[in-house]
Amino acid sequence: MGKTIQAELPERLMEDAQTLVDNGWAGSVNELLAEALRRYLESHRDDLAERFIRDDVEWGLRGQD
Amino acid sequence: MVVVTDAGPLIHLDELGEIDLLVDFPRVLVPEAVWDEVTQHRPGALLPSFMEKMAAHSSSSELNAIGRLYTLHHGEWQALALCVHFAGSRLLTDDTAARLAAKALNIAASGTIGILLRAMRRGQHDKTQTLALLEAIPTQTSLHIRSSLLAQIIAEVRSP
Repeated sequence: MGKTIQAELPERLMEDAQTLVDNGWAGSVNELLAEALRRYLESHRDDLAERFIRDDVEWGLRGQD
Repeated sequence: MVVVTDAGPLIHLDELGEIDLLVDFPRVLVPEAVWDEVTQHRPGALLPSFMEKMAAHSSSSELNAIGRLYTLHHGEWQALALCVHFAGSRLLTDDTAARLAAKALNIAASGTIGILLRAMRRGQHDKTQTLALLEAIPTQTSLHIRSSLLAQIIAEVRSP
């Protein structure tokens, strides 16, 4: 069971989303928004952010350039 | 080394009063979209005396696909396109998705903390100054970092 939320989105963004749905690339705007959020969360995971910062420390302290 | 910077490091270094640290890089390129974004939010972070505003370069189909996959912003996209154009350059960004995209494209990337620590390695700052800057991150900047991770970094810098 999903959770219903209320959000204000730019009109142009919604038009583009609706076009994708109308053209058959997504089942519904709800489905498309959930997929977009899932992709965003996947690419901004806490463990990834931490790994990149640890890479930073390595480069900063012991890098060659 | 050419560096191409996203908005994050420019803003965070300026929040710490340390934007001059970037002068140590031979070339600092700022994509047009990033330049415009920083002009709006933090114009003091842009120093035309050593930063070059660069027009967008055409984006390969590989970059287009990766940019969409990681939902990159316009500035991050342009920065990666510049990195592809200037082979061997380094991307400066604090955005996780942009760093993931850079990794997929085999582009080296670093963030604000890396730049601060490099400054110590390169003799721009001593250890005391670097520790003070790291400790100021939570209160003086909009850079998000878990407090326990920052404490570990501070301990590593403090250790002899």
